[in-house]
Amino acid sequence: MTVPHSVRIGALVLATTAFYGYVGQLVPQKEVQPPPEVAIRSDLTTADMVPVGREIMAGKGLCFTCHTIGKTGALRFPDLEGVDVRAKSRIPGLSDVEYLAQSMYEPDAYIVQGFNPGMPHINQPPISLTDQEILCVIAYLQTLGGTPTVTLRTTHRYNGGTAAPAPGAAPGGGAR
Amino acid sequence: MVVSRKLLFLLGPVAGIVMFIAVVWMATVFVGRNEYKDPYRAPAATADSTPRAEGVAAEKDEAEKKAQEKPYAEAEYRRFPVVGSRVAIWAVAQLHLLFAAFVLAVPIFAFIIEAIGYKTGDPRYDRLAHEFSRLLSVSFSLTATFGAFLTFMLIILYPKFTNYLMSVFSPTFLPYVLLFFAEAFFLYTYYYGWGKFHPLVHLGLGLGLNVVGTGIMMIANSWLTFMMSPSGVSSKGALISLTDAIYNYTWMPINVHRFIANIAFGGSIAAAYAAVKFLQAETDEERAHYDWMGYIGNFVAISAFLPLPFAGYWLAKEIYAYSQTLGLTMMGGAFSWLFIIQAVLIGNLFLAANYYLWLGMGRVEGAQPFQRFVKYLLAAIVLCFMIWATPRSIIATVSEVRAMGGSAHPVLGFLGVMSAKNTAVNILILTTFMSFLLYRRTGKVASVTWAKTGHALQLSIFAAAAFVVIFLGVYGYFVEASVRIGLSVPQVGAVLLAMVSITAIDIFLFRKPRNTGAVRWGRIPAISQYVLIFIAVTFTWLMGLMGYVRSGLRQHWHVYGIIRDNSPDAFTPTLGFATEVVSVTVLAFFLLIGFVFWIASLHDRPDFERGQSL
Amino acid sequence: MNILVVLAVVAAFGLLRFGRVSLLVWAGAWWVGIYVLLRFGFTAPIPASVVSLYMGIVSIAILAYVSSSQERRDEISRPLVRFMTDKRYTAFLAATVVAIPALAAANVYVQMNVPLQPPLFSRTVHPASPSEITVHDKKIDLDAGENPFRHLEASSPTEFRTHVENGRKVYYRNCVFCHGDNLAGNGMFVHGLDPIPTNFTDKGTLPMLRETFLFWRIAKGGPGLPEEGGPWDTAMPAWEKFLKEEEMWEAILFLYDSTGQRPRAKEEAAK
Repeated sequence: MTVPHSVRIGALVLATTAFYGYVGQLVPQKEVQPPPEVAIRSDLTTADMVPVGREIMAGKGLCFTCHTIGKTGALRFPDLEGVDVRAKSRIPGLSDVEYLAQSMYEPDAYIVQGFNPGMPHINQPPISLTDQEILCVIAYLQTLGGTPTVTLRTTHRYNGGTAAPAPGAAPGGGAR
Repeated sequence: MVVSRKLLFLLGPVAGIVMFIAVVWMATVFVGRNEYKDPYRAPAATADSTPRAEGVAAEKDEAEKKAQEKPYAEAEYRRFPVVGSRVAIWAVAQLHLLFAAFVLAVPIFAFIIEAIGYKTGDPRYDRLAHEFSRLLSVSFSLTATFGAFLTFMLIILYPKFTNYLMSVFSPTFLPYVLLFFAEAFFLYTYYYGWGKFHPLVHLGLGLGLNVVGTGIMMIANSWLTFMMSPSGVSSKGALISLTDAIYNYTWMPINVHRFIANIAFGGSIAAAYAAVKFLQAETDEERAHYDWMGYIGNFVAISAFLPLPFAGYWLAKEIYAYSQTLGLTMMGGAFSWLFIIQAVLIGNLFLAANYYLWLGMGRVEGAQPFQRFVKYLLAAIVLCFMIWATPRSIIATVSEVRAMGGSAHPVLGFLGVMSAKNTAVNILILTTFMSFLLYRRTGKVASVTWAKTGHALQLSIFAAAAFVVIFLGVYGYFVEASVRIGLSVPQVGAVLLAMVSITAIDIFLFRKPRNTGAVRWGRIPAISQYVLIFIAVTFTWLMGLMGYVRSGLRQHWHVYGIIRDNSPDAFTPTLGFATEVVSVTVLAFFLLIGFVFWIASLHDRPDFERGQSL
Repeated sequence: MNILVVLAVVAAFGLLRFGRVSLLVWAGAWWVGIYVLLRFGFTAPIPASVVSLYMGIVSIAILAYVSSSQERRDEISRPLVRFMTDKRYTAFLAATVVAIPALAAANVYVQMNVPLQPPLFSRTVHPASPSEITVHDKKIDLDAGENPFRHLEASSPTEFRTHVENGRKVYYRNCVFCHGDNLAGNGMFVHGLDPIPTNFTDKGTLPMLRETFLFWRIAKGGPGLPEEGGPWDTAMPAWEKFLKEEEMWEAILFLYDSTGQRPRAKEEAAK
C-alpha cells in the first residue's frame, strides 16, 4: 500500500501548519482593547484621584509595561516602590509633584543612575494623557511611600503653573 | 496468525476511535459541569402581545421618507461579511506579500546562479537557473492579482484611511505602476528569452529585473513603514516632507530585512519545488538533478537565513529608537509571547536545516567519520533552542508557584532574559555554520601545504567567537541595563567576523582538494525531501507570524500616534486567533503554490497527441 | 540542583555506557533522563508548562538524531521491526496497540479531572508604608517615629516590663485567635484564612520590620493596605477601631519581647 506523494506532501503541509497553530493556542491568550476615552470629572477629591491614577497607569498609560512596583534585580526601568520618598529629594529644589510631573512631561530631563533614557513623553501621542490624567497618576504615585497631596487644581510648571523651580535648581530642568 | 495480526492493527485505530469518543464525551461532561448557564427567561414572542401591524406600516413609511432625504455621507469603514474587515485584509495582504516575496527572490538567486554558470561555463547552472525561473511567470500574475485585490479591499473596507495614505504618498504611486510595467517587461523577456540572446545580454535583463523588483519593494515598504513609524508629517497628520515620510525610521531596516528574508523564503520554496519533483521522479538521473536543485535551494535559504536575526535586531533597534512604547509593546507587552512562538519556529528551522545537512552526508562516500560529530552539534542546538524558548514570565499553577517560592524561577529566571537569548541564538548560528563546514569536508581532503595550520586557525577562530559570545552573555548579568543592551553588538560582530573569516580560509583551503569519495546526488533518503518541504512551510508560517507582529504592533492606530483606528477591529486579537489566521493563510498559499508547481511541471510533460492517449 | 537526582541520572547513563545497549535504548534513556533531570533535578521545581515545552524540543531532537544517517535508521528500526513481526511478541504488541490510545485517554481524564483552582494573584507581602497615618485623630509619623515605650527599655526596665505585660494581655485577648498562642501564626481560625496570619517566630518577619511599620499594619489592618498589597483578602482587622494607641504600641513591645527579637533599626535619613 503506497500513499501518493501529493497526499503525503499535503498531509505534511497541513500537519505543520496545524502544529504551529496549536503552539499558538498554548501561550496565554490576551485580547487588548484600545483604551477607552474617559473624561475625568472635575470634582474628584484627592482620595478619588488615587484609584483613577492607578487605573490609568495599568491601562491607558502603559506604565506597567516597563515599570514595576516592589521588584528588585535586573530591571529595565526604575522600580516605583516608595517613589515619593525619592521624588522629594531627588532634584534639590523640586517638590515631589514637580519632580513626578517633570518625569512624565520631560522624561529625559533627569535619568536615574544606571538606566537608559527611553521613556516617551506621556502627554504626547501615542500615549497622550491629559493634564488631569497626569495629576491623577501623580496622586497615585504619591501614595507609594507618601501621602497624596495633589488635587485637580494643583499647578506645576507644565500645566501653566507658576511654581518655577527654586533658584539654583537642577540642571536639565527649568526652561528648555 | 497473519490474519489475526492484520486484525490486531485494525483494532488499534478502532480502539483509538472508541476511546476518543469516550474522551470527548468525558470532556463535555466535565466542561458542562462547570459551565455558566444563563437564567431562564420567557421568549420575547410570548411576552409581547401588543398589536403591531399599524406600527410596522407607519415605521416603513417613515423609513422610506428618510431614505429619500438621506444625504451622501462618506463612509469611514465598511464591513467585510462573516470574517470581518481586519481578517479579510490581513489574509489578502499576507498572500500578496508571500507571492511578492517569492517573485522578488527567485530572480535574485536565478541571476546569481546564471552568472556562476556563465563564469564557470558549466551548463548545469544555466539549466538550474532556467528551471528556477520557470516558477516565475505564474507567480508574477498571482502577485499582481493579489495586489489589485488588496488595493480594492483597502478602498472598500478602509476608504478614509486609504484616502489619507494616498494623499501623503500620491507622488509615489505613478512610479510604482510604471515600475510594475518594467518588471513585467524584464520578467517575461528574461524567462522567454532564455538562450535566445547573448548570455551577457540575458544577464543584463536579469539584473534589470532585480533592480526594478527591489525598487518596487522599496516603494511599497515606504507606505507600510510610514504606518508604523510615521515621520515627515505634523502631529495632526498633514504632510510636511515627503522625503522624510518615505525615509522614516524603519524604512531602511525593513528594506534590508525583507530583501534578505525574501531570498531565504524564495530559496526554501524553490527547494520545496525540487523536493516535490524529486519525490515524483522516476529515473535516477532526474533524482540526481532534483536532489542537487533542492540542495542549492536550501543552501540559498539557509545562508540568507543566518544573517537574518541580525537584520531583525537592527529593525527592532530602530523601532525602539523611534518609539520606546512601540518597542516595549513588541518585546514586553501584548506581543511578548509571540516571540516564544517565534523561537519555536526558528529553533525548528535551525534543527531542520542541520538535519538536512546531516542526512546529506549520506550521499557522500566515506562520510561516516563525520557522523560522530552530529550528537555534539545536536546537543548544542537543543540547549540553545531550550534557552531561547524559555518564557520570561512562566505559566504556572498556584501550587507550582508556591513550590518555586514566587512567580520567578531561580534558574529559569536567568534564561528568560535577553542576555541568555542573544547568546543562544548566536551559538545556534555558529553551530549551523559548523554543520555546513562539516558537510563541505565530506568526500575531500585539503591538499594545500598549509592545510594543518589552516584547520587549526579555523578552529581557533571558531572557539574564540564562541567564547566571546558566551562570555558577553554571562557578563550581561553583572552590569547595569544601560551597559547590557550594548553588549549584543560585539556578540553579533564576533559571530559575523568568525563566519566571514572562516569561509574565506575555507575557500583557499579547498582550492584543489583531493577527492576521497564521490558525491552521489540522488542517493538521499526521501525523508530529507520532506524536511525541505517542512522548512518551506515553517519559513512561510514564520513570515506570516512576523508580518502579523509588524503590522499588529500599531495596535489601535492606522498610522501610529497620528491616525487612530476607530473601526470595530481596532482591538488586538489573542495570539491563538492570530496564529489561526496565519495558519489558514499559509495553507491557502501552499494550495496556490501547488498550482504554480503544477503549471511549471506541465513544461516537462510530453505534448498531447490524439492517437497516443487512447 | 538536587544533587542526588543528578547523580542517579549520571550513574544510570554510566551503566548504559558499559552495558553496550542499542540505540533505541539510548534514545529512550536520554528522553527519560532529561525528563527526570528537568522534573526532579531542581530544588525549585520547574513548572509543568516549561517542562512540556522542553520535552517537546528534546523529543524532536532525539527523533532527528536517530534518523540522521542510514546506520542509525537501521539500528533503531531493527528492534522495532522485530517487535512488530516476531511471533514471540504478539501479546506485547497487542498490549501496546491498546495501551497507546488508552494512555492518551487516561491522560485526558487526569487533566480534565482536576479541581478548579482560583487564579493566582501576586501580592506584595510587605508593601511600602505611607510616611504618615492618622490614628485616633493623632498624626503619627511612620518614617521618623518611634515606639513611645521603647526608650524605657534602657531607662527604666521595670516600667518597661509593665508595658510588655500589658501588651501580653492585649495579645491574648485579641490576637491569639489567629496568630496563635505561641505566636507562630497557627491560631484556631487559621484554617479559614488565606493568606495565613503572619508567623512572628519566623526570622523573616519581625526583625525585618520597624515598629512603626507594625503599628501601621495593626492600626489600619487589611482595609488599609495600599493597592499593590492587594488582593485584600487578608482578614486582619483595623485595630484602631477597638484598641487605644498605647495598647497597640504595647502589643508590639510584647511581640518583640516574647520572640526575643529586635526591631529593625531606623534607616539613615537619605535613602
